[in-house]
Amino acid sequence: MSLNRIFVLSNSLKVGRRLIRPGVGQTGKEVLSHLQLQRSFKTNSRNLAYAKDLFLGKVNTAEVFPYPEIANEELEEINQLVAPVEKFFTEDVDSKRIDHEAKIPPETLNGLKELGLFGIQIPEEYGGLGLSNTMYARLGEITTLDGSIAVTLAAHQAIGLKGILIAGSDEQKEKYLPKLATGEHVAAFCLTEPGSGSDAASIQTKATLTEDGKHYLLNGSKIWISNGGFADIMTVFARTEVVDQDGQKKDKISAFIVERAFGGITSGKPEDKLGIRGSNTCEVTFEDTKVPVENVIGEVGGGFKVAMNILNSGRFSMGSAGAGMIKKLIGLTAEYASTRKQFNKKLTDFGMIQEKFAIMAMNAFVMESMAYLTAGMMDRPGLPDCSLEAAMVKVFSSEGGWVCCSEALQVLGGLGYTKNYPYERYLRDCRILLIFEGTNEILRMYIALTGMQYAGKILTGKIKELKKGNVGAVFDILGTKLRQSFGRPQDLGLTGKDGVVHPSLTASTKKFEENVVYFGSTVENLLYRYGKTIVDEQLVLKRVADVLINLYAMTAVLSRASRSITIGLKNHDHEVLLANTFCSDVYFKNNFMMSQLQRNSPENNDADIKKIAQQVLENRAYICSHPLERTF
Amino acid sequence: MNTARILLWSPCVRCLAPFARTTRLQAVLSTGGLAHRGLGLSSSGVQVHRAFHVSSRHDKKQDLPSFVKESEKDGDKDKSLVVHDDLFERTGREAKNKGTFNKAVDVFNKRDVRRRGHVDFIYAALRKMPEFGVERDLAVYNKVLDVFPKEVFVPRNYIQRMFNHYPRQQECAVQVLEQMENYGVMPDEETRVLLFQIFGEKGHPVRKYQRILYWFPKFKHANPFPVPHQLPEDPMDLARFSLTRIAGDLDSKVTVYQMPYTDITEAGEEVEETHIVGIQSPDQQSLLAKHNPNKPVFVEGPYPLWLRKTCVYYYVLKADPVPPEEKVEEYIDPELVGPQQSIHYPLWVEMDLTRDMGDDFSFDVDEVDEGAIYGMCMAGRGDQITLSRWIAGLQETNPILGRIPTVFRLESGPQELQDLTEGQRPTGEDTEAEHRTEPDTEEEQQQMGGQRMKQ
Repeated sequence: MSLNRIFVLSNSLKVGRRLIRPGVGQTGKEVLSHLQLQRSFKTNSRNLAYAKDLFLGKVNTAEVFPYPEIANEELEEINQLVAPVEKFFTEDVDSKRIDHEAKIPPETLNGLKELGLFGIQIPEEYGGLGLSNTMYARLGEITTLDGSIAVTLAAHQAIGLKGILIAGSDEQKEKYLPKLATGEHVAAFCLTEPGSGSDAASIQTKATLTEDGKHYLLNGSKIWISNGGFADIMTVFARTEVVDQDGQKKDKISAFIVERAFGGITSGKPEDKLGIRGSNTCEVTFEDTKVPVENVIGEVGGGFKVAMNILNSGRFSMGSAGAGMIKKLIGLTAEYASTRKQFNKKLTDFGMIQEKFAIMAMNAFVMESMAYLTAGMMDRPGLPDCSLEAAMVKVFSSEGGWVCCSEALQVLGGLGYTKNYPYERYLRDCRILLIFEGTNEILRMYIALTGMQYAGKILTGKIKELKKGNVGAVFDILGTKLRQSFGRPQDLGLTGKDGVVHPSLTASTKKFEENVVYFGSTVENLLYRYGKTIVDEQLVLKRVADVLINLYAMTAVLSRASRSITIGLKNHDHEVLLANTFCSDVYFKNNFMMSQLQRNSPENNDADIKKIAQQVLENRAYICSHPLERTF
Repeated sequence: MNTARILLWSPCVRCLAPFARTTRLQAVLSTGGLAHRGLGLSSSGVQVHRAFHVSSRHDKKQDLPSFVKESEKDGDKDKSLVVHDDLFERTGREAKNKGTFNKAVDVFNKRDVRRRGHVDFIYAALRKMPEFGVERDLAVYNKVLDVFPKEVFVPRNYIQRMFNHYPRQQECAVQVLEQMENYGVMPDEETRVLLFQIFGEKGHPVRKYQRILYWFPKFKHANPFPVPHQLPEDPMDLARFSLTRIAGDLDSKVTVYQMPYTDITEAGEEVEETHIVGIQSPDQQSLLAKHNPNKPVFVEGPYPLWLRKTCVYYYVLKADPVPPEEKVEEYIDPELVGPQQSIHYPLWVEMDLTRDMGDDFSFDVDEVDEGAIYGMCMAGRGDQITLSRWIAGLQETNPILGRIPTVFRLESGPQELQDLTEGQRPTGEDTEAEHRTEPDTEEEQQQMGGQRMKQ
């Protein structure tokens, strides 16, 4: 990589030299403008969320250190809440039956309503629990013990009624939230359509204004609507005609609160699914449903932003949910592994079994750390934009959850595969995590591109100078390169005397810092190479997203372990061990991925991978001859 | 080394011989140690049956196989072939098939223990094979090779091995293999055993066999779009096959717009209606839906498509290329695909940077705008009435066609499928006359006649 870079630099140097000759004054000006540019970077980088800054090779320590805490009263409150919920889930919820009958029994639903779980985040004045994101995440750890219930609850409040909560008017809140908080009414979120999965632009459902201008007539159908069979209140997204500033009519998406009582709503047969079978998923069709004008959420034509905000804010809790599930699985599996004997040895004595437990513990630890770090960031006053962090939590925890479920099942061998044990159910249930609320592929694109866009805005000037061969810019980069290669390893000030990380994590922090700096220069290199055509380089973006997710995970564990050891939490040495192991594990993975991102990297097979896919897809089949075929 | 050089020499001599048979050449040959050339032998070239072991070489002049083009100048050779041709004609009088062909070979085999004249017989057999329809039958080739007497042509010492031992026989066997090659028949184990028995392990025919065995498998699947030897008999099936072959889109759907049937008009005449089979892909449908209804679409054809020896004709529904000033950029709402969206990840990023030259591997491609092709069809008849039925059928799935003027630009074309072997040329359709009967439609006639359809 660096060779490559130096080559580019030397090229630009030559050009630079040519530039010097005509007049020194000119170059001086350029250097000056470059300096100004640099100054403006600094003002820009303030007050921004954490993850985006990583793209510039910077660590915004103020955002993530120290690890967010909640007040003692809040902690007590949440513990009081958690105890009965946990009791309810262990004693009264029969997950096996829910899975088998593909239905949550009414008494279970009533129990959930009595516990107030239908209104966790609805403010107390509307009859909800009014909990913060952090506390919501904590409750999510328990509700996830049954996937069907977790999804039903999430469809209700994480997305279904969130629209009213974050963008609804006071009247709308007063009218709908109290009944939603008690669970008397159940909410659903209707966005997906047969022809529009994550492509919101191709939504076909139409809302047309009636002649008297008091109602909208809603027509169209939505698919895969969780709670669609029995929801009373639905957040529906539909096209509406909007006159824009130029006086032109355009179709824009608007969000509506639709009551089932409005009429014209039919729900299809519940889908028979692989997992989360107890949750109700079906098609909902609207036929001339009359929706009053005052039921528009936000403004007419502003539905897209509403949808985006709802989805972005709902994702973070998946981390804690995944962690909750894994923690439970570790308990169950460890019990089995410690009692089962093979060759006069306990299963727990076998290295390969031990490794599985380490993986599960590490994943749970990282997920937890990421989820509560993000929740804490979101709970901060103001309106921090944490959509990137939330998306990273979702991607990491859904994939980690899948791996851990499968490992837990593996420990039990054949037993895990049977329906006598809950592992196969957990495995089926958690498969959906990789798919819904934005598939992981789409979220990766989102993560990488959002960051690239941000970095592009700031680095464009610098890269342009570089491409032009500006001497100042070139020397600046050469200087940093030299400093990096000869001086001490990258130091971003996280460790040391004024550091924010506990000394026992110094080695891991150094690795993290090194990764961050390398990532910054990789991003710059990618921008230099691809510019705005980076959008088409999905395999590149996937790696960028993966590295960023790893970096964020490292941050979370470093921050959490530092806090634990500093305030002396129970078993903090275990946390430090987990953090160090995770960091060094991921450090090498990051390095590998970033070296794949360099130009002409021998580790990078992307071109061939694309070719294979192309040849297969052209024929829409596996095209190799059968190994038993002969030609003569 | 020496041997090799001599072997190299002998073919050169062979090709030089007809042109420059100078004494010097003779001298070279004789000094080259080729003393025992059977110069005087079998100069007639008709009855080539020399006694065994007399010679491994003979004069090149007479060595040319009788089937080679020059045969017309050599009356004697023809005579011998005629004898064998007669044999085939006689046996194949009732029916020309594998059975009678084999019978003819059997008759020859039984006629003489020494198989006198077998080389000529084999050449005759090779010529007759297509006539009997056995040119692709491996068993028949093996049977033909079996006509050669066994073991007598196997060289017994190194000198014989060094020089072309029984060249005429070897040449003949090579010719059999050559014909197999031309018809794409893969020799099998039996062929190999036969050749071993007849010519020994290193004879030219065995070499030829080995070469075929080396190359045939390599090229067997060289064509990514193979045409089966046996094309479907039914013209509708054939149309279906050809249309999917041209379309190249796995999504495209074949529709039968009309089945062939016979209708009786009021006047009592029998009118035979032919099949109309069309193909259209979803992409073509959506393209057609976007067509500007003020511009006409054209039905053009017939265009030929060759499937081995069969030629079929198809018609296309197409539009003229859209002039650049009329192209409409599709509107994309920036809010829905902009950089800050998460439901749909951003389709573009706003950045003032382009791809670096070092990473730009795209080719500079000159793109020529062509008119879109909206569909294709094959019909038993290429007149306007038949084709307008196709358009009417298309209209069911593409309602927009009802609003677009349709213009028929038909060349007088063939009516039926053609077979090269029959050599028939279809009668041209007088499309012009039919056009005049319909004054409403815009007319455009390309008077190219049927010449283009020449086979």
